[in-house]
Amino acid sequence: MSIVGLEKNTGKTECLKYVLDNLPVERKRIAVTSIGIDGETVDQVTRTQKPEITLREGMYFGTSEMHYRQRRLVSELIDVSDETTSLGRVVTARALTGGKILLSGPSSGSSLKRWMSDMRQHGIDHVIIDGALSRMSSASPAVSQSMILATGAAYSANMTTLVQKTAHVVDLVNLELTSERNVNRLAPLEKGVWFIDTDGALHDLNAMTSLSQEIHFDGVEHCASLYVAGALVGTFLDKVRKHKTLRHAEIVVRDFTKIFVTPQQYRLFVKGGGRVSVLQKSKLIAVTVNPTSPTGYVLDSDLLCNRLSEAIGLPVYDLLKNKECN
Amino acid sequence: MQLKNVIESPCGLRFMLDKLELQSGFARRWLLDSPMMTRAEEIVASYQELHCFTDFLQRVDTLYINTLCHKLCDLKDIRTTIRNLYQGTVLDDIELFEVKHLALLAADVKKLLAQHGMDKAVEIPDLDEVINILDPDGMKIATFYIYDSYNDRLKELRALMRRHPDQQDELLLQAGEIEEEVRTKLSKRLHPFATAIEQAQTALALIDVDVARARQVQDMGLCFPALSQDGTSQYDDMFHPQVQEALASRGRSFQPVSIAYGMEPTLITGANMGGKTVVLKTLTLCQWLFQFGFGIPAAAARIAIKDEIHFCIGDDQSVEKGLSSFAAEMKNIDAVIKASRENKKLLALIDEPARTTNPTEGAALVSALLRVLAGRDMSLVMTTHYDIEPGEARCLRVKGFENGSMDYTLVEVQDGEAPHEALNIAQSLGIDSEWIDQARALLQAAPGKNNHC
Repeated sequence: MSIVGLEKNTGKTECLKYVLDNLPVERKRIAVTSIGIDGETVDQVTRTQKPEITLREGMYFGTSEMHYRQRRLVSELIDVSDETTSLGRVVTARALTGGKILLSGPSSGSSLKRWMSDMRQHGIDHVIIDGALSRMSSASPAVSQSMILATGAAYSANMTTLVQKTAHVVDLVNLELTSERNVNRLAPLEKGVWFIDTDGALHDLNAMTSLSQEIHFDGVEHCASLYVAGALVGTFLDKVRKHKTLRHAEIVVRDFTKIFVTPQQYRLFVKGGGRVSVLQKSKLIAVTVNPTSPTGYVLDSDLLCNRLSEAIGLPVYDLLKNKECN
Repeated sequence: MQLKNVIESPCGLRFMLDKLELQSGFARRWLLDSPMMTRAEEIVASYQELHCFTDFLQRVDTLYINTLCHKLCDLKDIRTTIRNLYQGTVLDDIELFEVKHLALLAADVKKLLAQHGMDKAVEIPDLDEVINILDPDGMKIATFYIYDSYNDRLKELRALMRRHPDQQDELLLQAGEIEEEVRTKLSKRLHPFATAIEQAQTALALIDVDVARARQVQDMGLCFPALSQDGTSQYDDMFHPQVQEALASRGRSFQPVSIAYGMEPTLITGANMGGKTVVLKTLTLCQWLFQFGFGIPAAAARIAIKDEIHFCIGDDQSVEKGLSSFAAEMKNIDAVIKASRENKKLLALIDEPARTTNPTEGAALVSALLRVLAGRDMSLVMTTHYDIEPGEARCLRVKGFENGSMDYTLVEVQDGEAPHEALNIAQSLGIDSEWIDQARALLQAAPGKNNHC
């Protein structure tokens, strides 16, 4: 499971802390790591105080050599990886007492996946990933099965905008899976732009990415699904929306982390009869809010929870108030 | 001269290394850093070892070899830690973990090899004492921390920590001081084993490399070369694995070539597309493989040791460096001439020298080069399209285009006259007849010895 923040200071680390405090370590083997540098005592960007991560006895963790040396707990070393990050190699250890640790794990999605498969060999039941700022990649279903999204006043101090922007991300996370037949046929295609016609035949549109200015939809008649193997960008979505026959077609992307469109572009596209679906989907478990922005602005917690919960149809928590609002 | 200095040689050495199924990154680095062997004893010993591993691979089952490879995967590069150990620095937990991990791995691999009497093939030093130092509880698991059993006071402090988490910071501070004392003692006790630990790391890398090389011998059908004492080298049914693979992917097969050369110059002539360059590439490749202890791509081979190997081929990289292809080639050959004046056993393989200049001066340059190098104590294999006087050189010729197909066999001929098959070959490639017929007509009209067609 990954925990992703929409902005610095949206309470991601608080959320991680809450999760770690409440997991049944006696019954399950839990490992925790972070993608990229995180867990610093003071936020490097805004200089505000950040909670440290407290591990419980028996938990496994992956962090950098540098942060391992600064640990404030007793732990047993299990592995030292060959991969080097800016803070040294990634080391894996098991906490022998509870205590505090700075987390900074593998620096890329692929090395994170490697680390997770190593963890499986150690009999780990659950891996919790502290996702870094603007690094949705750790939340990709290719890496983690489920996610918690942290949002808050730091993302937008205007409640209406905050709700809309968060709802947009939630919409993308919750995009429906495409048909099983499409999944089987499209998953092996790693690049390019493709379409499947109503007879089920697959065609290459001969474009490297959806960014390409050269994409021509000439001859794309009877299109059932368009598939963008890489990033789906707004200009492409606009082009499809304005096309007279394609506008009702389904656009398939690998997963929600590949979508880079503004809420407006997406709304217009859906309004025009378009639909985006995914090959892989991760389960959004909950959304947490931090009503306080680093500039000191505070939103009404109850009102925010209620409005957001209403907009997304999921439970929303303000963990500092430690209460649920459905 | 290390393997990494010649790995990008256009002869195809990189391909052989890429095909090597090494388990650890450290073994790869160690192999790339290994020096070229020039002494007969070390080359003989290296091939005896490789022979031993090929036999071993045939004796053992897949499960066993997978277990061994899986273990070798765990080999890490801990050279920095070993250096610190030599210098008597106090090692930290991560470094102590690395030493313990390596010591346990070495013991495991040693035990595994002993099952098949292979523990003597590559000597792994005994690190039992190192394991004892770092495994006070005798758990034999490759994990590490400053164990409670190292110090009673440490044990008490940690028990207190668990009971009074509110005092943890103070207790950690006290425990930290004791831990540092323990580390200092451990490092002191490990210091005398630095050499053995380093040897164990190298031995494990060597085993990884030997297993990979032995597998390559099996997979590619390579041979063990005999050592030639008289400076001549001889290859039966030699092939180039990379070219062979490329041909196979197009459904074609590689025709192996037999060749021998000695201390007198060898001149290879032959039609275009006759495989002359591939012969030179393969000879270069085989010489490097021999002096780095790999299997040789031939049915049989007898190879002489050389101190220096020069492979001169017009390559595009020189153009990127701002040299014209002619200038780059001249400089390469110049290096051969300079080296030939030193008292070194030299092998030079030169592909179509002076090919990019006009034929009059080109032929003069090639003839002169042959005369200059013929007097030197060296082996020279050279290809050319020019008609030149061979002098003392032995002349080999590609059999060439016969009955619509190319025969790559090399035959010994008396003169160095280049065959005139370019027009026939061009025709067989389906090149426009207007052009080829014109050329034929021009040749017929011209006087002299070019008038073959």
